[in-house]
Amino acid sequence: MSTPTISRQRLTALVPYAFVAVPLAYLGVFMFWPLLRQMWMSLTDTRLMNPTKGDFIGLENYRHLLADPQFYTSLHVTVVYTLLTVIFGVGLGTISALAINRPFPGRTIVRAVLLFGWAVPNVAATLIWLWIYNGPSGVANELTEWLGLGRVQWLTSIDMALPSIMIVTVWQVAPFVMLVMLAALQSVPDEVREAARVDGADALNVFRNVTLPYILPTMQLVSLLVAVWSIRRFEIIYLLTGGGPIGSTSTLVVQIRLTAFEDYDLGLASAYGAVGLVLALLVALVHFIFERRRARVMSK
Amino acid sequence: MPKIDFKGITKSFGPTTVIRRFNASVEDGEFLVLLGPSGCGKSTLLRMIAGLTDISGGELLFDGALANDWTPKQRGVAFVFQSYALYPHMTVRANIAFPLVMDRFRKWHHIPFVNMVQRWKVMRQPEVADAVERIAEQLELTPLLDRRPASLSGGQRQRVALGRSLVRDPSLYLLDEPLSNLDAKLRTQMRSEITTLHQKVKRTFVYVTHDQVEAMTMATRIVVMNQGYIQQIGTPDEIYDTPANTFVARFVGAPPMNLLPVKVAGQTLHAEGDSHWQHDGGAPKGATSAIFGIRPEKLRLTAPGAGRLPARVAVIERLGAETVLGCRLGAEAADVSGISTEDLVFVRTPGHPGFAHGEACGLDYDAGDVVWFDKSSGQNVAATPVVSTPEPAFEG
Ligand SMILES: Nc1ncnc2c1ncn2[C@@H]1O[C@H](COP(=O)(O)OP(=O)(O)OP(=O)(O)O)[C@@H](O)[C@H]1O
Ligand SMILES: [Mg+2]
Repeated sequence: MSTPTISRQRLTALVPYAFVAVPLAYLGVFMFWPLLRQMWMSLTDTRLMNPTKGDFIGLENYRHLLADPQFYTSLHVTVVYTLLTVIFGVGLGTISALAINRPFPGRTIVRAVLLFGWAVPNVAATLIWLWIYNGPSGVANELTEWLGLGRVQWLTSIDMALPSIMIVTVWQVAPFVMLVMLAALQSVPDEVREAARVDGADALNVFRNVTLPYILPTMQLVSLLVAVWSIRRFEIIYLLTGGGPIGSTSTLVVQIRLTAFEDYDLGLASAYGAVGLVLALLVALVHFIFERRRARVMSK
Repeated sequence: MPKIDFKGITKSFGPTTVIRRFNASVEDGEFLVLLGPSGCGKSTLLRMIAGLTDISGGELLFDGALANDWTPKQRGVAFVFQSYALYPHMTVRANIAFPLVMDRFRKWHHIPFVNMVQRWKVMRQPEVADAVERIAEQLELTPLLDRRPASLSGGQRQRVALGRSLVRDPSLYLLDEPLSNLDAKLRTQMRSEITTLHQKVKRTFVYVTHDQVEAMTMATRIVVMNQGYIQQIGTPDEIYDTPANTFVARFVGAPPMNLLPVKVAGQTLHAEGDSHWQHDGGAPKGATSAIFGIRPEKLRLTAPGAGRLPARVAVIERLGAETVLGCRLGAEAADVSGISTEDLVFVRTPGHPGFAHGEACGLDYDAGDVVWFDKSSGQNVAATPVVSTPEPAFEG
C-alpha cells in the first residue's frame, strides 16, 4: 500500500473526532471553564471588590457553610421547593394532557389558553402574580374572602410565602409539561389500547397497563428538567419575596446572590453554587439509573 | 356460544360510507373468512363485531340479542390485531395472562399497592399459571415466557398474540390479517396451525384476509367483499367454481379466471379481434353478447390446428409441478412480443407442456366448465345472485 492511501485512511479515522471537537470546544469554553473557575473560587477568599485577587484558603468556605444555619434552611427550602414543584407541576401537566388528548368541541381554544402561562415571559408573569397576591387589593384575597377564609398574607407570612411561590411556579411549568406529555401520548398505539379493552380492562386499567408505561420515560425526563429548573430558579422567587420573610424562601440560588452582591463574598457564593451543582447532578444521576434499568429490562 | 347476525349493518365515517347494508349470519363453530381487496371495509366490519368501532346503522345480533351497544368486554370476543398489539412493557407470560388478570380484577384493586399485590397473587394462582403454561406449550412459547415482545421475531409475536386471545377461551375469535407480516414459509406453517386450532377448540372464527390462498385453504365459508358490498357468500368450492360475478371470478384464483367478452351467433362465439370458434354447449338463452369465463386449469393445450381455439404462446411461467402459459387468441401470426398481459388467456397445465414462446398452439375445453356472465351487469347468468351490489362489477 502506498503512503498517501494510509494517510487518507488516517484522515478518515480522524473525522469523527473533528465532529465531536466542535461541541466539545463550545462546552469547554462556556461550561467547563466557568465551572472550574467557580470550583477554584470556592477554595479562595475572593471578594467582589477585588475579584482577581483571592488567596487559596482550602475548604474554609465550606467549613463556614456547614456552620451557618442559613445554609441548612436554604438547602431545605430548595429541596422542598424542587420536590413539590416537580410533583405538582408534572402531575398537573400530565393530567391536563390526558384530559385534553381526546377530541371535544373547543379543544384548540382550551389548549391555547392552557399554554398561556408558559408563553408569558417569566418576569411579566411574576409581576402579574405580584398584583394577584397584593395584600389588600389582590385578586387572591378577594377570592379567599369570598370563600369566607378571610385575608391571607400570601407573600409576607413565613408559612404562606413558599407555597405562594410554588403556586406561581406550577402555573408556569405545568403547561410546558402538558405540551410534552401530549406529544408522548400521541406515541401510544391505539391498537394496544384497544387490545386491552378487548381483554377486559376498564379505563383506569387501560391507563395503568398501557398508557402509563408508554409515557413514563417522557414523564421521567420532564421531571428531570423541571427539577433542574427548580434548583436553578431565580426570577420568580427574587421578584416575589426576595428570599424572605426571614429567609423562608431563600433557595441556594437566592442565597448566592445575597452572598455575592450584598456580602461581597464571591468565595462563599461559589461554595453555595457548588452545592447547587451537586444537587442537580444527584437528580440527573437518579434519572440515569432509572433509564439504565429500563433499557436493561426492556431488552430482555 | 353465539350465532351472529348482521342485519343491514352500515358504517359511515362522516360523509363516506364504508360498509353498506351488510346482511349475513355466522353459525356457531364456523370459520368465516372475510376476503376482499385493501380498503374494502374488512377491518371496519371486524372492529364493529368486537365493539371497537360503533355501528352507524343496522342491527348486530349475538344469539338474537341486540349487541350494537355492548362493550368489547360484554361481547366476550378475542381479537388478534393486524399489528399484534402486544403490551411491550410486559413479558410474554404477563401478555398471555393479561385477560385472565383482568377477569379477576375487582374495583377495589385500583387502590395503589393493593393493585400490585393482587396482580402478583393472581399470576400465581394455579388456574392462571397453568392456563398460561398450557397455552405456551401449545404454541411452543415456553422458552420465551420471560422475554419481552421487542426481542421476539415476527412469528413469535404472532404466536403470543394468538396465545393471548386463546387463554380466556372466548366463544368468538376475530382475526385481522394475522399472517400478513410473516414470510411465506412461516405463513404456510401458521395457516395450518390456525386451522388445526379451529378444529381443536371448536369455536367460531371470523378471519380477515386479502389473500385468497388463505381464504381458500382455511375457510368453511367465505364472504367476498368489494367497496363495502358483499359480492358473494359461499363455501370455498362454490366461490371458486361458480363465482357470482366477474369481480369474484377475477379476485379468487391465481391466475384468475379467463373472462372473454364474446358475441354469440348460434353455435359460434366471436371474441374481440377476429377470432371465433365453435362452441357446442349451451350459451345464455337469447343473449347475443355475454362474458365467457373459464378457469385456466380447465383449458387444455393441443397441437396447432386441433382444439377449438387457435392461439399462440406469449408467456411461459414454470412453477415446477405445473406451468402457466399466457396465450393470445387468433390463428394468424398474432403479435406475441407485447408486454401487456391484459388480453392473454391463461392456461394451467401439469408438468412441462413442450411449447416454446411464440409457438402456435390450440386450446380446448369442455363446454360444461364454462361460466357465463351477463355482459352489462357482470352477474353470473346461471347462479342466482346472492349479491347486494347495484353496480356492474365487471370493469374490463
Ligand atoms: N377512522 C376512519 N375514518 C375515516 N375513514 C376510515 C376510518 N377507518 C377506515 N376508514 C376507511 O374505510 C375504508 C375501509 O377501511 P378498512 O380498514 O376496513 O379496510 P380493509 O378492508 O381492512 O383494508 P386492508 O386490507 O388494507 O386492511 C377505507 O377506505 C378507509 O379509508
Ligand atoms: Mg384491514
